[in-house]
Amino acid sequence: MAKFIERRLAPANSPSLALATTAIAFIAAMFVTSFLFASYHADPLQAYFALFHEPFATLRGFGYALVRATPLVLVALGTVVSWRSGFAYLGFEGCFVVGAATAAFLALSTAHAGSTGHVPFLLFITAATLLSFAGGGVWAAWVALLRARFGGNEVLISLMSNYVAIFGLQYLVSGPMRAPGSIPETSLLPRATWLPFILPGTRAHAGIFIALLAAASVWALFRKMPLGYELIVTGFNPSAARYAGIDVSRLKILAAFLAGGLSALAGLTEVLGSQHRLMDGISGGVGFVGIIVALLARLNPVAVIPVALLYGGLSVGADAMQRRAGVPSSITFILQSLVVAFVLAADALRYYRINPSALWQRPPGVSAGQAVE
Amino acid sequence: MSDAHLAISAFLVAWLSASLRLAGPVLLAALGETFAERSGVLNLGIEGTMLLGALASFLAAYFTATAWTSLLVAVLVGTVANFFLAWMYVTIRANQVVAGLVFNVLALGVASTAYRRALGNSALPESIAVFQPLHIPLFGNLPFVGPVLLGQTAPFYLTLVLAVVARIVLFRTNFGLALRAAGENPASADSAGISVNRMRYIGTLISGAAAGMAGAYLVLAQVGLFRETMVAGQGFIALGIVIFGRWNPLKAAMAALVFGACDALQLSLQLVGTRVPSQLLLALPYLVTILAVSGLFGGKAVQPAALMTPYTKD
Repeated sequence: MAKFIERRLAPANSPSLALATTAIAFIAAMFVTSFLFASYHADPLQAYFALFHEPFATLRGFGYALVRATPLVLVALGTVVSWRSGFAYLGFEGCFVVGAATAAFLALSTAHAGSTGHVPFLLFITAATLLSFAGGGVWAAWVALLRARFGGNEVLISLMSNYVAIFGLQYLVSGPMRAPGSIPETSLLPRATWLPFILPGTRAHAGIFIALLAAASVWALFRKMPLGYELIVTGFNPSAARYAGIDVSRLKILAAFLAGGLSALAGLTEVLGSQHRLMDGISGGVGFVGIIVALLARLNPVAVIPVALLYGGLSVGADAMQRRAGVPSSITFILQSLVVAFVLAADALRYYRINPSALWQRPPGVSAGQAVE
Repeated sequence: MSDAHLAISAFLVAWLSASLRLAGPVLLAALGETFAERSGVLNLGIEGTMLLGALASFLAAYFTATAWTSLLVAVLVGTVANFFLAWMYVTIRANQVVAGLVFNVLALGVASTAYRRALGNSALPESIAVFQPLHIPLFGNLPFVGPVLLGQTAPFYLTLVLAVVARIVLFRTNFGLALRAAGENPASADSAGISVNRMRYIGTLISGAAAGMAGAYLVLAQVGLFRETMVAGQGFIALGIVIFGRWNPLKAAMAALVFGACDALQLSLQLVGTRVPSQLLLALPYLVTILAVSGLFGGKAVQPAALMTPYTKD
């Protein structure tokens, strides 16, 4: 007879179950957080309304949500590529910085070139995208190279490499690239190099198209191309991959290059689309939040988009919530991290199956007579 | 002695004593992290734990308690918070990197919410009970040694003692052997009758206690107040120190000194106004750590073999 809760023979892996556990985790996190709201004498429903209304029901808020989501998508895609290939890279803050610095440098150089002739935007953005991608790619690839050549641990090396990049950025904006003035930052980038705004009356910029294009490319890489298949095999089982004739070290370096490049584009969109100048602290933790987004999306390049939009939207709504319901916006951090914590915990559910039918199944013998009633 | 000599020796005294002062909290956090990593758990959550410890000690000191009690409160808070982390790492067998990073976000949310909750929008308090530099009689007046080595605060000396204790516990006791076995070869440890999960719980809790105390150290002996941004990556620096010190408490003390010295040199060079970019000095310890862990020089820094690998009994 079936038990109500039963251990599965193999962990379940269906997309619908992943969606269900994520939804349950989200609701559970909102439930727990509503007690915090209540402690501020705020009506949880009203607070949640403010949290979601601003980013998803007002045009201006939605524009901001797109702005916040764009770099998250790109960093999350980088995470998808590297983690699926078995390369536990954590250096996305650094890649972000490298991409941002490259884009800002190119944009500022066009200002100097401007005296001789105007650089067409399409030419500029193509060059900037390629160079930023390459810069971030190389920044991530050297970690993979160290790992492949000498051993060492990519988690720890990449974590440390973030700081080297961040201090490099500090040096640039307080030294060679510094604009006159009291704040260490570059001067405003030439207007012609900005990513165009796409929704009138909002801050939303064309960077989201770069992010969507990147998501489609990563999807195609894993679903349509032999290289993507080899990357996944390498991630699942390096020895089997090696046995099948795949050059595992070369592939990991390549995966790191692609991942670094993707997350460098996050820096590019932030500089050219949102900040329009380079300054210290421009990455602001996106390199870590993007990892969390990728995890919530179960390392699926398409699912990354809605999750990033949700996360970007939450951070926009947090301010509205603080204004309207009097709840500190920092509670959003608690909500966001509880969701992930619950998702991690809910993963344990993949090992069990629930049989609702076990509840109304009677032991044999008793059932025969009662079934007639 | 000429003026130049005096200036140089004054600079050295200031630099070295600042190095030791800055090295203290990160060393403390690194000592705890050594236990977690030796047991097979990479605890990235010490960054957030330091913040929680800082807040706990600040609030404790603000609402009545003395400096020592506040330190103890921070240790307790750090331990309790890391019970949650240990549950994620060991019982749930979650990805340790993700669990640690998420915990840091959670800690930031909790700390800043709780801080506003407790103090409201009131102005910053004037002062809390803090640790003053000790004045050790007789030897404290020795030239050079006095101000550098003997003019530190009480938590600094406590940290030094703990480094020696950590070294003895890890390498000279049965408990240390069992803990290291859980991190090197959990299957063998298990068949030798050691509870791998228990060792990893203990390792994580020790790192939590130490990180909480390190946060209190920042508040009670260095800054004197609480800010959400005060930890600013020092938990991650502690991770670097653990690697640079090759998972050995005494070498970690040396590593922490290198980090502290670079940090302090950068501060004093900024005051002097040299042309050496201060960021290069700040980045130096990280570069050295990367080189140390990559195994380019002096052989590979051998991490615990089962680091980041959850243990499942077959």
